[in-house]
Amino acid sequence: MKAVDDVSLRVAPGSFVSLLGPSGSGKTTTLNLIAGFITPTSGDLLIDGVSVSAIPPHKRNIGMVFQAYALFPHMTVSQNVGYPLKMRTKLSATERQDRIVEALKLVRLAGLADRFPAQLSGGQQQRVAMARALVSSPRLLLMDEPLGALDKGLREDLQLEIKEIHSKLGSTIIYVTHDQTEALTMSDFLVVMRNAKIEQIGPPQAVYENPDSVFVASFLGTANLLPLGVVGMSADRLTGRLANGEMITIPTQSASSFSSGDAACLLIRPEDVKLSPCNSGKGLSPGLRAKLVDTMFHGDHSRVTLDLAGAKFTVQLHPAQIAEFNGSGDVFISWSAERARLIPADR
Amino acid sequence: MTVQEIDQRIRSRLVIKYNPRSFIVFLLLFPACAWMAFFYITPIAMLVYNSLAEDGLSILSKTVANPVYRSVFATTLEIGAASTLGCLLLGYPVAYALTVSRGALRGILLIIVGLPYWLDYVVRSFSWMVLLGQRGLINNFLLYIGVIDKPIQIMYTFLSVCIGMVQILLPIMILTLFAAMLRIDRRLMTAAAIHGAPPWKAFRTVFFPLSLPGVYAASLLVFISSLGFYITSALLGSPKESMISQSITLLAATLLKWSDASALSLVLLAITMAIVIVYDRVFSIDDLWGGKDA
Repeated sequence: MKAVDDVSLRVAPGSFVSLLGPSGSGKTTTLNLIAGFITPTSGDLLIDGVSVSAIPPHKRNIGMVFQAYALFPHMTVSQNVGYPLKMRTKLSATERQDRIVEALKLVRLAGLADRFPAQLSGGQQQRVAMARALVSSPRLLLMDEPLGALDKGLREDLQLEIKEIHSKLGSTIIYVTHDQTEALTMSDFLVVMRNAKIEQIGPPQAVYENPDSVFVASFLGTANLLPLGVVGMSADRLTGRLANGEMITIPTQSASSFSSGDAACLLIRPEDVKLSPCNSGKGLSPGLRAKLVDTMFHGDHSRVTLDLAGAKFTVQLHPAQIAEFNGSGDVFISWSAERARLIPADR
Repeated sequence: MTVQEIDQRIRSRLVIKYNPRSFIVFLLLFPACAWMAFFYITPIAMLVYNSLAEDGLSILSKTVANPVYRSVFATTLEIGAASTLGCLLLGYPVAYALTVSRGALRGILLIIVGLPYWLDYVVRSFSWMVLLGQRGLINNFLLYIGVIDKPIQIMYTFLSVCIGMVQILLPIMILTLFAAMLRIDRRLMTAAAIHGAPPWKAFRTVFFPLSLPGVYAASLLVFISSLGFYITSALLGSPKESMISQSITLLAATLLKWSDASALSLVLLAITMAIVIVYDRVFSIDDLWGGKDA
């Protein structure tokens, strides 16, 4: 079995790249290959144009933040942070001390230099791990689900801080996560992985809006995917048959990549849907009739679950808009045609 | 807070509530505790009584003052310390190898480590005589290659006693160290590597310091065990290498001086306990790192 297979990736210097995927998709293995903990059976790895496949981890000049922090429990915070300096540089004790203080300031832990890791909270330990990874100014920083063990509020704070640190330092960061929100908000580039292969690469917004596959569409955010049998198409229009036999014609740019008889999925994001009472929405195109099943209040938005031809369909609305649809009943949905995407059904 | 509330608080602290879980714990502990109480605590109490019954505490001071016993105690501690050091030097690398090994290899190594226990240690001690004696394997070999021209004395020396004891105590050292080393998070070595430490430096700066609490614990266990050795020193040593247990046996079984034997046992017990207490004070440093599993 291959843990990663045919993964080709070029990372621009200074960029923030996230490897995103479900567990077992090969993202941590990819990170371990870059770190040098695993030697690839084939292929090569280049950093700044130089092959590092034969170079052991300790000579690669990489900083790394581990999910379980991996701080040295017998060393103080400042000894932990100073470790890479002691191993990699010939700095004097005072120079080292300056760099440690600087790194601790960057992660906002200046006052805790003499504590031991066990005396710190999870968030503080994560900051120490971060300071240790970046103290020797490595060209490349690897982060393996660094925020996975923290609770939500803290995770969001640290996401911001990591972004800030990234823009201050300018070093390249490769960040592994299974949290799609984290990947979307933090990265310059997104690498979606699945079954040991790269599924799609691109800037977060592009990947979110133009997923190549059903997997990517449903892994990022919430996706309404209407299965569609392609019946006919013209230059900018495609006609398909929905599961319930209803025919629908959609304006699309990608009509040429389908041929009649293909199975496709129409992707409509919950935030792109407009909901109207059944009688008023007639004639809107593209539009479909659906049955309201449930509404859920999320604070800043509400989620409406519809039954569309037997399948679940989610709509995101402003809480104020929900009032006119109380209870169940028939509703009419429409969406902005340029935001909907037609993607091939899952292989 | 009203008087009733305070009263309630005090009551809730004083009354030990019936807890089915603690009852089960009690049930589980009871057989072993009863057994130990009867067969361990009782005889020791009788021992203390025996030694003090005739002349009171004076027998203890007489025992401590006796130069023969003093020198036997000194020899016992010396042999114990030397054997412990030997075990540590030989055992640490083996325990480390066990820690880094995986699967079947680890299983095989563990069987090899435990193998000596399949043979009684009296038999093993006798087998050392074949190896170390005047006409033993080592002397014959050294004579054959011409390093020596007449047999050297290995048997019945401090060295032969230590060799035998190290051989017997080594598995305890290895297994105790192994258990301690298993608790060290291997990912720390990975972290050391990626942050610039070559393997040897990663070991020296991370693994070794973290293994020290295990080293202290294993050494203490081996040292304490060594103090009670009897057969090995009797078979492999000269009277000069007499250990304290031999003296106790001699007093009790041959000379029938029961109160002297009891007093000597008591002194051994006191010394052992003192060592444990002092040792714990000096080396109990894992609290500093936030407990054993930090």
